[in-house]
Amino acid sequence: MDEKQLREALREWILERSSAPPAALSDDQQPILDEGLLSSLDVVEFILFIEDLRDEEVDIEAIEPEVFNNIDSLMTAFFPAAKKEAAA
Amino acid sequence: MRVAMSGPRSLERIEKLVKMLPSGIVQAPSSLGSMTWGPPLPLLSNAILVPRALPRKTLTMATALELAPRLTDASRRKVWDVHTAFDWPERLDPTAGWYMLPELVSIYGTDAWETLSETQRKRLSFYEIVNFFSFVLYGERPLVSGLMNRMYRKRTQGAITEYLHHFIDEENKHMIMFGEFCNRYAGKIYPEKKLVLPREYAKGEEEVAFFCKVLIVEELGDFYNLKMMTDRTIHPLVAKINKVHHIDEARHLGFGRQFLRELADEHAGNWNEDETKQFQDWLAQYLRSCWGDFYNPAAYKDAGLDGYATRKEAMAHPVCAEFRENASRKLVDYFLETRLLSEAPAL
Repeated sequence: MDEKQLREALREWILERSSAPPAALSDDQQPILDEGLLSSLDVVEFILFIEDLRDEEVDIEAIEPEVFNNIDSLMTAFFPAAKKEAAA
Repeated sequence: MRVAMSGPRSLERIEKLVKMLPSGIVQAPSSLGSMTWGPPLPLLSNAILVPRALPRKTLTMATALELAPRLTDASRRKVWDVHTAFDWPERLDPTAGWYMLPELVSIYGTDAWETLSETQRKRLSFYEIVNFFSFVLYGERPLVSGLMNRMYRKRTQGAITEYLHHFIDEENKHMIMFGEFCNRYAGKIYPEKKLVLPREYAKGEEEVAFFCKVLIVEELGDFYNLKMMTDRTIHPLVAKINKVHHIDEARHLGFGRQFLRELADEHAGNWNEDETKQFQDWLAQYLRSCWGDFYNPAAYKDAGLDGYATRKEAMAHPVCAEFRENASRKLVDYFLETRLLSEAPAL
């Protein structure tokens, strides 16, 4: 998946899980946790989804809750290679 | 405070916990015995499973403070050494036999299960037992830390703190036992994926939530322990670990159920409608989330399956949903009885 597809996959998962309207994540800086789109227990499931997308386990001890702030922060934390490719 | 009994199930529980366990009927086994798979063992622990009858009209529910000295006494009589209780084989072959009981394997009864060969099923049963032991270990870790923080407080001083010392000691030994199995035979403990986010609590809610978490991990764990501890189709070391765990957990469950009941009586009735709903939503979601831990993509991958797809398929499968509901019935009934839930959650 390229960066655009990854962002879309993340957005779709969050919207489906939260039953929120698309407007709730109309741009990639909109807050996810602060707006209550995901709870801490949703995050458990979300991490497994992210692991599947990147085909690699997430080291939970190495991340801070802030990485779930918005889609931009998720991309930086979990898909740095995709971001670099897009920039190049 | 003495609380009137509320039903036959409560009567059975109290019979088990108050009358049977402190009497020393079941001892922690000190040797492993046969190391080969074979026919089912006789139910050595039937004494725990089938309590003797007591005249119901004379029974009242003991408070946590009344239970604590009896449980302390039982813990002292059943004390065991985790470093000598087990003969650890050098290695285990994941495909040489069953480790998790087949009908407890998370995808049992699904199409994915049907497509597996017996060798593949056995391999999966090995990684599932590693996942189960990892789940309990990671459930017990915050439990130990939380119980330590609750010792020597006004509510727990005296007999309760004395029992908490044993509770923590036993949980610590369980973690050593589970950690040894997972690290020695799988080279790892499956990490938990829980991330704690700060949130606001109603008065007493954090305390009630802590003991709900304790009860969930112990009740779900005990459901599996009871099914496996006398079964001889699974590896005898796995059966023994389940048995040793169950014997201690029976006491922990007795204490935890009563202590949580008293906390719920004290706090939950004072929560307003929104606070009650927030708590009940959290509890239902937490229970679902714990069940999610049994469908671990990493364990599926280690067994040669498609990790995330297998999890999604199994969690959505009606056979698995029915299994989760049956396995959770005792726990959910308790939460309904104590009004910590107002309806049974979809699992």
